[in-house]
Amino acid sequence: MTPGLSAVGTTLRLQMLTFVVRRVAYSIPVLIVASFLLFCIVRVTFDPTANLRQSRDVNAVQRERDRLGLDDPLVIQYTNWAGDFVTGDWGESDRTREDVFPMIRRALWVTMQLIFWGIAISALIAIAVGVYSAVRQYSIPDYIFTGIAFIAVAMPPFWFGLMAIKWLAVEPQQAWNLDDPPFYFVGLHSATGDSGFLDYARHLVLPVMTLTVQIVASWTRYQRASMLDSLSSDYVRTARAKGVPRRKVIFKHGLRNALIPLVTVMAVDIGLLFGGLIITETIFSIPGMGRLFFDSLQRGDAPVLAAWVVVTAAFVIAFNLVADTLYAWLDPRIRLG
Amino acid sequence: MTLRQRKWWRVLAVITALALVAAACGDDDDEEGQPDTTDETSAPDVQDGGTLVIGAEQEPECTDWIASCSGSSWGYWMMNVTTLPRSFDIVKDGEDWVYEYNSDLLTGEPVLDDSTDKPTVTYEINPEAVWSDGEPITSTDFKYTWEQIATGDDIYDTTGYADVESVDDSDPSVAVVTYSKVYAGWKGIFGGQYGILPSHILEGQDRSAMMANGYEFSGGPWKIDRWEKGVQAVLVPNENWWGEPPILDEVVFQFITDTSAEFQAFQSGQVSAIYPQPQPDTVAAIEQGVEGAGTDFTGETGNLEALWFNNSAFPFDTVAARQAFSYAIDRPALVERLFGPLGVTEPSNALNPPIFSGVSDVDAFSFYEQDVDKVAELLEGDGWVKGDDGIYAKDGQKFAATLKTTTGNARRELTAEVLQAQLEEVGIQLDISLQEAGDLFGDQLPRGDFQVALYAQVATTLEPALCAILCSKNIPSEANNQSGQNWQRVSIPEMDPLLETVDGSLDQDERVAAQKEADGIMAENAVALPLDPLPNILLWKEAEIVGDLFSHPILGPFWNIHTWGLAA
Amino acid sequence: MRIDEQAPDEIGGLPPAAPRSSDTEAIREMEPVARSQFELVFRRFLRHKMAVFSVFLLLAITVLCLSASWIAPFGENQQELLNFNQKPDAEHWFGTDEVGRDVLSRILYGGQISLKIGVAVALLSTAVGTLLGAIAGYFGGWIDNALMRLTDLFLVVPSIAVLAIALRKFGNKDITIILILAAVFWMVIARVVRGQVLSIKEKEYVEAARASGASNTRIIARHILPNVIGPIVVNATLAVAAAIITESTLSFLGFGVQPPQTSWGNMLARGRSYIDADAAHLVYFPGLAILITVLAINFIGDGLRDAFDPQSKH
Repeated sequence: MTPGLSAVGTTLRLQMLTFVVRRVAYSIPVLIVASFLLFCIVRVTFDPTANLRQSRDVNAVQRERDRLGLDDPLVIQYTNWAGDFVTGDWGESDRTREDVFPMIRRALWVTMQLIFWGIAISALIAIAVGVYSAVRQYSIPDYIFTGIAFIAVAMPPFWFGLMAIKWLAVEPQQAWNLDDPPFYFVGLHSATGDSGFLDYARHLVLPVMTLTVQIVASWTRYQRASMLDSLSSDYVRTARAKGVPRRKVIFKHGLRNALIPLVTVMAVDIGLLFGGLIITETIFSIPGMGRLFFDSLQRGDAPVLAAWVVVTAAFVIAFNLVADTLYAWLDPRIRLG
Repeated sequence: MTLRQRKWWRVLAVITALALVAAACGDDDDEEGQPDTTDETSAPDVQDGGTLVIGAEQEPECTDWIASCSGSSWGYWMMNVTTLPRSFDIVKDGEDWVYEYNSDLLTGEPVLDDSTDKPTVTYEINPEAVWSDGEPITSTDFKYTWEQIATGDDIYDTTGYADVESVDDSDPSVAVVTYSKVYAGWKGIFGGQYGILPSHILEGQDRSAMMANGYEFSGGPWKIDRWEKGVQAVLVPNENWWGEPPILDEVVFQFITDTSAEFQAFQSGQVSAIYPQPQPDTVAAIEQGVEGAGTDFTGETGNLEALWFNNSAFPFDTVAARQAFSYAIDRPALVERLFGPLGVTEPSNALNPPIFSGVSDVDAFSFYEQDVDKVAELLEGDGWVKGDDGIYAKDGQKFAATLKTTTGNARRELTAEVLQAQLEEVGIQLDISLQEAGDLFGDQLPRGDFQVALYAQVATTLEPALCAILCSKNIPSEANNQSGQNWQRVSIPEMDPLLETVDGSLDQDERVAAQKEADGIMAENAVALPLDPLPNILLWKEAEIVGDLFSHPILGPFWNIHTWGLAA
Repeated sequence: MRIDEQAPDEIGGLPPAAPRSSDTEAIREMEPVARSQFELVFRRFLRHKMAVFSVFLLLAITVLCLSASWIAPFGENQQELLNFNQKPDAEHWFGTDEVGRDVLSRILYGGQISLKIGVAVALLSTAVGTLLGAIAGYFGGWIDNALMRLTDLFLVVPSIAVLAIALRKFGNKDITIILILAAVFWMVIARVVRGQVLSIKEKEYVEAARASGASNTRIIARHILPNVIGPIVVNATLAVAAAIITESTLSFLGFGVQPPQTSWGNMLARGRSYIDADAAHLVYFPGLAILITVLAINFIGDGLRDAFDPQSKH
């Protein structure tokens, strides 16, 4: 499907570049407005000096207000903050007095691991189950998968997480009298002993399941539908009519076309995934972006929350961009622009 | 005593079992409750070294202990007590907890010389005492600590240090502290809730920046190896510690901020010890039985959870209304429900925490038992009439109160719901309002923006100091820069001098008599209603940890962790 | 949360019903056309057995919850303090909770709040979303731009984060929760409606109506809205389910309704810490209540989608 002529290829690459640049340029105002609104909401909601009021030092509150510039108008405060932010000075946490940048970097690294494994595994399951269900439409497994998908999206995600801890970690350990639970549910590594890949994997299973249960279900349904669509396209029908073997038709022609819609859906769901992290990381004591948000929210840590919002939004936008680009590349019929 | 109000951590310590109490009485006993004891270190079943993993419910926000950003009890227990020297230890003597000078740090008992109007205390420092870099601990460290606390920015609490006039460090091994007036709690400073800081490292530096995110120096058995934010804090032995060396190679405090996950992690062996809050779920799990766990529960703590009335706001601005409210509540049932499985079934009946039982009238509030007739009698005598909705009203105003308490605390939410139901039965409406701790303690309570609040007072030193929260001079006002802590706006002229005597007198008998008389006045006026002592809970894997595990009401559960070892 | 199917079917099926005639005369025929369209949809809906079953199930749940004050064996906040965390037995079918309240009764009462939040959020967000989406799609220009940019914001920032911040600021009475959830949810519906309106307004019969001098209001109300009713109804249904789940998630984070009010999410959030303390029923029953209700609503949504747009399939 890739255009063979080099001229076409060059034009396409140029178009692609313009497309990416335009999308990035378009995202910047969204980021600015989002960060401004959130910054204002956070500032009017939280008083970063609240815990200082317990101090016997009567000047502590005013000194902190001066240090943070809390008596300036919000726009000035935001401009100061944004100016520093762009130059890499992300400020200091009201809560821990630590620089915000390393806090976010640390949390993001942890979160990216969850997101990476979450997307990779969800996509694999969704494609496998989706294709199977489409090829064996109305078979018993198809009905079972459909039922599971409906149930999965009808559960509150944290409830699923609690059930998973109970039935996949705590109960099996007791039932089989094991030294350790089969899957861990605190952090991403054991505090002692081996910290090899197996240990890592046993820590990842439950949080990744909790994080992705809803999107696996919905991606599976998408994949099934688009696979059905693809299998019934003229293109595939023609291939079948020409006597191309069924297996080859399904995987070479059908699946390829069917993946395109899934890519779009995956991009849109990244935002959902970031939201799900708040729950997952709280349940599983994982020090990622979700926990950082929750801890900061509880203490009204405005500098961290503001940076959190911008970084999260930037990530969601970046993922969308990658997906759009991938989409355009997979299907050259899409107009770039 | 100063009182800290803490969101998550009202709990300070567990007091040891009776056997230990007895043991602590004899000076020649090996199992004495002091950090320098050698209990069981030579027992054959202890392995040399090893790593111990402990679940920590709360991560400190910073480790700059004296500044206002560091009010974390967990930080204090894990990283302060284990790394910084103190002039006095707190040990159990008979029924009472008393100060005893720290014989690792000092060569003799410091004494207060109050023969002049400028009292002095002389500390003679052990020449062997060194910081982890080998530099000796000197009187300059005392001086630096005092200067930082008395004159620094954002200091959490300057009580005591503010009364120090000077510290003479002309002889490095002798610190002479001169007070501007008698400070009865002098044994609680130069140590206490802060510890002593190394001047040779911090002098002239930005102390806050150097200490806030973990520090390398130590004057205790342990030093902070690393603090991975959000994950764990790791202690390793201080090689230059001159006292009894730690047995373990490493102590890992793993942060598990979700309480049910914490308990599950303990049960599944991911952590070997936990020190959970006395939350209903924890208590329920304990009642069910935890296999292989060593346990230490006690109600003899430095905590007091109470209902604090705003004595100047409707409807609690009359004694009758406060008394009626107090008679409406079935406190024994509540305490039985909350802590029964821990063996704590009696409500607290004094406003001092249980560790001060020796100086308080511990039965002062005991006459407040649920009594519906009494409620009706009191309210009707005060001009209240029951309305059609079953709620009392006076002058067109309903007896409807809002209970404020901290959010995210299941025990308080449960307590509030129980109170709500009990009060509704007698005709008092209670609404519940959950607040962030920072807002509640930093803003609403100081401003008097509450009717009744549910929270705990936590003792951080061994001095009872109810004057701070009940004397009329400490009502937030212009005079005290709004920093007074009598948020309840209690103003009872005959009680003030009694509480001031408790604060300032050096005569123990006089203090006790004044405290007991004041306790009676508090109860009669129902200035607040004490509920429970927030029992302390320490759980550990009995098969894994060998040592003298119990928690200290002031210093927390890990103060003697250098004597713990892993079973061989 | 979503189960969506987007690909058209090879079978083809019936095209979406639309007025064929393009003159204003035909508008008077709208009523019969609409009625037959409704019949068609209804008949197709009946073919979706799970959806039909779900309607009855949901009806039963709703009736039970609404009549809680008559049928609940105990009061919502009736406590028997020292009989707490009891497992299900003959007296307390679903056991008792942490202060000895009957779990079954509280599920019935809690359902009132959960369903109220779900339905109110769906109605409110659908009304606002439809109105603004239709205006934006029909008039385009700066209104459309403003709408799209605003909704873009909420696509890039996780909505649960926005909701948590807003609820922390504005408190957690049920009415506040409804308003704040609706303030986020309407955008989804507005985008759907806008997209539909954009495609329909280019259709000939709309052009014709405009040419013959019909007012904008009239065109939107009589030509466009009837043709986007399908997606609106489907999305509104799914919004009920999404709101119930979201409320429970917010409860878990500590931002749900406050006592003495009860919701399923609030029960779950409070009961969840007892999961290993031999009182797992406090987690199972409210969780199942949410699961079954949301499942039923989603099946209904699925059935409605098939009925309105038979080209989709499952």
